Amino acid sequence: MVDPSGFDVSARIGSLVLPYPTVGLSGCYGSGAEFAPYVDLSRVGAVVLKSVTRRPRMGNPTPRIVHTPAGMLNAIGLQNPGIDWYLQHDVAKFAQTPCATIGSVAGFSVDDYAYVCERLAARSEIAAIELNISCPNVAHEGETFACDPNLTARVVRAARATTEKPIIAKLSPNVTDIGTIARAAVEAGADALAVVNTVRGMAIDIYRRKPRLGNVTGGLSGAAIRPIALLAVYEVARAVSVPIVGQGGIETASDAIEFLLAGASAVGIGTANFADPRAPMTILDGILAYMAQQNVRSLRDIVGTANAGFANSSQFEGDEG
Amino acid sequence: MTLASPPSSVVSTRILDRTEVARDVILLGIEAPELVEKVRPGHFAMALLPGGQAAGVALGIYEARGERCSLLFFIAGDRTRRLGALRVGEMLDIVAPLGNGFDCGGKARDIAIVAGGVGIASVLLPAQAFLARGARVRLFYGARTAERLVEAERFATEGCDLSIATDDGSRGHHGVVTELLAREPAPEAILACGPTPMLRAVSAYAQERNVPAQLSLEEAFGCGVGGCWGCVVPIIGSSAQAPSFPPSDADGSDVVHARVCVEGPVFWAHELRW
Repeated sequence: MVDPSGFDVSARIGSLVLPYPTVGLSGCYGSGAEFAPYVDLSRVGAVVLKSVTRRPRMGNPTPRIVHTPAGMLNAIGLQNPGIDWYLQHDVAKFAQTPCATIGSVAGFSVDDYAYVCERLAARSEIAAIELNISCPNVAHEGETFACDPNLTARVVRAARATTEKPIIAKLSPNVTDIGTIARAAVEAGADALAVVNTVRGMAIDIYRRKPRLGNVTGGLSGAAIRPIALLAVYEVARAVSVPIVGQGGIETASDAIEFLLAGASAVGIGTANFADPRAPMTILDGILAYMAQQNVRSLRDIVGTANAGFANSSQFEGDEG
Repeated sequence: MTLASPPSSVVSTRILDRTEVARDVILLGIEAPELVEKVRPGHFAMALLPGGQAAGVALGIYEARGERCSLLFFIAGDRTRRLGALRVGEMLDIVAPLGNGFDCGGKARDIAIVAGGVGIASVLLPAQAFLARGARVRLFYGARTAERLVEAERFATEGCDLSIATDDGSRGHHGVVTELLAREPAPEAILACGPTPMLRAVSAYAQERNVPAQLSLEEAFGCGVGGCWGCVVPIIGSSAQAPSFPPSDADGSDVVHARVCVEGPVFWAHELRW
């Protein structure tokens, strides 16, 4: 799959081939339609929908957002209408989005994930499933499924049993050894990994002498976490051979290329959309300019090339183009 | 409010004028002819910071006439400081117009507008709309100090009756602005924009006197366009403002979290459940 400019910028996530390597991230990008006035969604690789759970969720009290140096904290708390309402009212609209739609599943038990995954993946509008096993804002004492290799494997295995569609496990940076978690997810059947979710953090109002977020703690995103996320991608790319959707503070084409060089096949754009909703376009244009300048015809040729221990060299072999 | 949001876009504007109307309070005039045609009272803009690296700043659109709109804001942190450093002739991209806006229709002839602090930035356009159709507009304007009471004379010049309160008593009533409102004869309709405690007091007053009140809410925004669900407020789920909202929780409650940026920022006081 080649862009009209003549460069191949496609990215592969299991059996799903994205024409562009840019992904609008879950919880940051609505269904994509919210950003349609500002970007050409047909030039965005995919949109990952906001996570859906078994039952409706009101989410956390406000403030849910606090702006911090070079980033922001959020604690939305998985507000969503629950899978029943979602399937009945929301999913059909996603077919109108001119890019791939990836469903996101969250839960509080292994069974929750399997149940919601099976029902969501059964819908033709959904191209792949992301398992949000790393949301820091509904966790107990910060522990999420993605903090434990066994729990990670159990969730992925249960979801894997429900669908043939590509499964992406979204990993947490709030762990000691992300490579171990990545291996557990892949051995359990994940086709790809999203690396990484937000970094736990908080902020305190010194005049009210209270935490600024309604939920007290939140997830830090934006440029502040970029080096953390980049290292996580680098380490995961050494540990496993599945495609990685690199994410965490990517704001520019240069940032995106760093993640590709570290071993990501595609790049997620989240908080940068809040600074400029045109970000996916400017990042794609910048990647194309870099390819022209560096004489790179196919983006996959640079994936992992800054990573001597890159485990991924064979993943793009085959006839998909 | 049930007004549909207009189509918004990223508008590249040029700074026409920059006035420091008080210490750390900036009025930026921007050249945006296509925006003037689309803006209604109560709309807001997301101002994209030059150089990015931080979320845009949600600002009420203060004026819109001819080829010029203006943004009035207080420097309160790093992001507003960066906006305040813009100079005449420089470019500023904004996403606008956003939000539902105030409903300035209806038959009410005696309008009270209650503004607190930087909330003043969102109420000039509705004041002008009501004055233009011959209504009486009383502005109840509260600020921390006289120095922070910006643009009051502008509202008087437009034809508003002014009542002023300051927290420190340096000008007008020594106390909160809602005390002034309660002292006067009740209006037929209320519009308000300001800090949440003020809006809560306005809401309580309006419901006690059975006066319809539209409140433009202040909340920390993420995207400003409905994609992140960061800026929510609890409202009744069967309200006109959130007619298609799903059940919000498993407990059967009729309260939902609506987005301030899309379903608002203007809400009827009687539909809020905060």
